[in-house]
Amino acid sequence: MVLRYLNLFYSIFKYSLARDMEYKTNFIGSLFVDAIYYLSWYFFFEVIYSKTSVLGDFDREAILVFLIATFFADTLFMMLFDGAGQLREHIRTGSLDFILLRPVNSQFLISFRYIRSYALVSIFVLSVILYNILSLFHPNALNIINIVMFIISIFMGTVIWYCFEFLTSCLTFYFRDFRTGGWLTHEIMKFSMRPDSIYQGFMRKILFSILPMALVASVPSRLLMYGLSTQNQKYFVAQIIIVLILLSLTRILWKVGLKRYESAQSYTGPVI
Amino acid sequence: MLVWFKKYSSILRASIITALEYKANSVVGLFAILSGLLIEYLIWSMIYSSQSSAYTIDGWTFNRLIAYIFLSMIIGQLKSSWVTAHEMIMQIRQGFMNQYLVKPLSFFSYHLMNFIGTNILYYIPYAILIFIAPIIFKDLIFINFVQVPFFILAVIISIYLSYSIYFFMVCFAFWFGEVRALLAAYNISMFVLAGQIIPLDFFPEYYIEIINYTPIPYLIKFPVDIAMALEVDLYKWFTFIFIALIWCFIMRLLSSIVYSIGIKRYEAYGS
Repeated sequence: MVLRYLNLFYSIFKYSLARDMEYKTNFIGSLFVDAIYYLSWYFFFEVIYSKTSVLGDFDREAILVFLIATFFADTLFMMLFDGAGQLREHIRTGSLDFILLRPVNSQFLISFRYIRSYALVSIFVLSVILYNILSLFHPNALNIINIVMFIISIFMGTVIWYCFEFLTSCLTFYFRDFRTGGWLTHEIMKFSMRPDSIYQGFMRKILFSILPMALVASVPSRLLMYGLSTQNQKYFVAQIIIVLILLSLTRILWKVGLKRYESAQSYTGPVI
Repeated sequence: MLVWFKKYSSILRASIITALEYKANSVVGLFAILSGLLIEYLIWSMIYSSQSSAYTIDGWTFNRLIAYIFLSMIIGQLKSSWVTAHEMIMQIRQGFMNQYLVKPLSFFSYHLMNFIGTNILYYIPYAILIFIAPIIFKDLIFINFVQVPFFILAVIISIYLSYSIYFFMVCFAFWFGEVRALLAAYNISMFVLAGQIIPLDFFPEYYIEIINYTPIPYLIKFPVDIAMALEVDLYKWFTFIFIALIWCFIMRLLSSIVYSIGIKRYEAYGS
């Protein structure tokens, strides 16, 4: 069964790559967007750090690692889980019919429906940049344990984003038209794009539990820079528990939501 | 003129009615403003809290900075025609432009009305926020009543200018089919570079010198500067309004030229 889904994932990847190659300008443009995105946020923190030397636990060098971790999470999310955001349109237009009729797990198919192949290039570039930053400022972080923990943690952070995107998309089953759901998710995700040390007290508790955005990029960057310290072990365990809870929630909401699905507008156009 | 008004006001009315069906969207809009403000508040309060209460950064006190971010976020949301631009690209790409070619409808004006109508959900809650802003940020926003009409005018210009820039980029879909990447790049970069989350005064000198030759300062900085001005300077405001209008004219002209060339390449593929 696992092999079957791996084969399916590979087929989707090949299809997505062929589709991306159809619009080569957009393929290159997407890389350009990523570059602009990275530079804009780098510029933002440069301006902030020109006015201060430290933001909580994150100094100028640490924030570079945090930024790369954020970019990794964002790129992985865009690459793997872009389909979760398109679920809203499938429900609204009724084109979800085409996915439900296929003899595969519908949540799997809707989530991995389209893989952004250009993101592989971005991931490679980010890896090179991260390696250089670590070599320069955190040479001790370049050990196998820290790197493996970082990779696992960043993947779990991406899954947290996916779960939030998928859960808000599933709300379309109830609201019929919830196109602003993508905007809502994006606004929630913004909390993960700032280092966790700016969140204190009640806000910090919220962002480590109910809205676990502090676990997306801050925890992976802490694991990479400082290894499995006692505090980081707690964060890592919290990440695992929250990912499991959120994934279960997506399953439940998906199954419950499907019962409300009415094939809204008898869609006759192409399947997105 | 009367025919034009009747035609497009009916489009505006239709899009308002559609938008009002989904009132919950305005809640998301409010959440976007308040959550964005909260994040920036937390960052800057951490920076300012390590200093004395009279501490300023480039002449900005903490309260003044938060008031700036509050206003700039609202204007940033109001001027963003990302969704409309996305729809326009899809129409060009999927061959749905025929309706504009066979009917006496302007692609530019139709979507402008659609954009304004759809955004009506945000105008109301944001107007309420701006209305209560002088109470929260006392002596920082709208110190003089004269600022209000100039601010409204500057926001209208900002929305039109932003829409024209988006439209200009959308027209490249006639050549490349898919230009969402270009729009995304513009959208992301403007979030930071137009001063939506940090005042342009904080940016390096060379950057400010460059963008003064672009329409960027008229998108967010100009309306916010009017609302937060400590003194009424009518001459300066009229000058800036004049320059902003020139930018509107330039962008409209450029987009018309690109559109008129692009539409000749349109093949109604997929209609």
